[in-house]
Amino acid sequence: MSVNPLSRVPTGWKKAFLTLVIIAIAVSAAFPLVWMILSSLKTPEESMQVPPVWLPGSPNLDAYVEVADVVSLGRSFLNSAFIAVATTGAIVVTSLMAGYAFAKYRFKGRDWLFAVLIGTMFLPPIVTLIPLYRLTGYLGLNSSLLGVVVPNLANAFGIFLMRQYIKGVPDDLIDAARVDGASELLILFKIVAPAVLPAIAALTLFAFVYHWNSYLWPLTVLQGNTDQYPIVISLSRLLSYNRGAMNTGLVMAGATLAVLPPVILFVFLQRFFVDSIVATGVKG
Amino acid sequence: MTARHTSSTIGLLAPATGLIAVFVLAPMLLTIGLSFTQWSTQTGFDTAEFVGLSNFTNLFGPTSIGRDFRAAFFNTALYTALSVALILPLSIVLGLLVHQTFAPGGIVLRTVLFSTYMVPMIAVALVWSKLYSPTEGPINQMLAWVGIPAQTWLSSPDSALISIVLLNVWQQVGYFTVLAVAGLTQIPVTLYEAARVDGASAWLQFWKITLPLLRNTLLFSAVIAVINAVQVFEPVALITQGGPVNSTNVMTYHIRRVGIERAQGGLGSAMAVTLMLSLIVVIVLLFMAFRERGERT
Repeated sequence: MSVNPLSRVPTGWKKAFLTLVIIAIAVSAAFPLVWMILSSLKTPEESMQVPPVWLPGSPNLDAYVEVADVVSLGRSFLNSAFIAVATTGAIVVTSLMAGYAFAKYRFKGRDWLFAVLIGTMFLPPIVTLIPLYRLTGYLGLNSSLLGVVVPNLANAFGIFLMRQYIKGVPDDLIDAARVDGASELLILFKIVAPAVLPAIAALTLFAFVYHWNSYLWPLTVLQGNTDQYPIVISLSRLLSYNRGAMNTGLVMAGATLAVLPPVILFVFLQRFFVDSIVATGVKG
Repeated sequence: MTARHTSSTIGLLAPATGLIAVFVLAPMLLTIGLSFTQWSTQTGFDTAEFVGLSNFTNLFGPTSIGRDFRAAFFNTALYTALSVALILPLSIVLGLLVHQTFAPGGIVLRTVLFSTYMVPMIAVALVWSKLYSPTEGPINQMLAWVGIPAQTWLSSPDSALISIVLLNVWQQVGYFTVLAVAGLTQIPVTLYEAARVDGASAWLQFWKITLPLLRNTLLFSAVIAVINAVQVFEPVALITQGGPVNSTNVMTYHIRRVGIERAQGGLGSAMAVTLMLSLIVVIVLLFMAFRERGERT
């Protein structure tokens, strides 16, 4: 469906011009990432040349081998994977449960409770950072991966997304299962969840990317315990390690590796990402 | 409502609501409470000592505490205004380009734009710090090709903040483009058809149909862009550490430095409360501005 003024199929020079504009924007948007990958394949000498050389003379993976030694990359990757997978899994489950209740149940104070929860969506994390840090300290979670994960096992956006989608699941489907004596949890996971798989895919992408990339909270709660550092914090240490040597290739190799998991997940789940924003997005 | 229903309602809501109450709502209330106290973040909440409004009078007073805070506040406001001013128009232009379906490039553009949003901010900051490098970076090199003199980017107090705005816009604009596309798909085709019958130019159609009907989308985008902008942290923590000459010291960085690193929990909380109140004011103003404009059209 084409609904905007530009979409009258243009012909001739107009089409050529627009195609050119699109290519130019795509190239400049991709440029930083392309530069990152190219730099990771250069030799240290090439990285330091003035003016910069664009293409590595003899592309090699030396920087990738070296970066693995410098920041115990394997360990950081596992830490990031644990953080991202544990939070994402929990967020999907807690959001499905609460989203189901908000979408299909009628109870006293429902809209009020929902509004309060949604309000937290607009709260920048820095506002709660200081007491939260003390709170996880009380719970004995500081300096540990659990401290990164536990405060992030549920979020308002997930609840909102699930409620929007679950509202569209026919009541008849749920009532039929209730008549058959199925428990509410069974109905949720056997009937409702399969019906909202696109929402689950979108939430998986959002939550995984957010927590894989998250920096402020892990940096704060881990208190310098480098064994527990996720990849993004290990990367930031790479810069200080490397400031004297100016070995850009090393930094770029590390950055390339850190970028891969969220971008790969995005490529697979891309269409759900767009659909979910349309579904939760503002109605005109 | 049956008893069974009540218990399953509670059971379904308890995990998410409980977690959000403990880890978001309670800390938010604690921030407000602690803002009236003197308290070391390294000690228990019970050591907080009530000091009334003195943290706030410090923030707006003549001491270095106040000067640093107001500088961070001003930097954040400037950063936020610049980000929103760049992101919103760009997201509409890109949204229109992505939304049109005739060119195969549309899909490629969409994928590229959205994937930048997936890149960790730390990686963005690392890569851009190299792109911006005055001598070894490709940006100044390319500027030289078209005869523009080398820029100082992150290394000068005059250009450091806008340099961070630009890398932030690059990372975020894809998300706002999706929002714009979502808004565009909801504008009825018939409006454009009618306008075309009346002989309205594409330019006129954009100003009279597209833009007014994107009002809610733009309001939502503006609110999200503001909230995202005040969270800027990684490029500052990683590259500039607030410098040069405090020109990139922004609120999230400053509050964390005061409240966590210097353990001045009460003072940091007062800053966080000021930030929260300012955000509420800005969001209310945005709502009022967009509503007013809506009534005029």
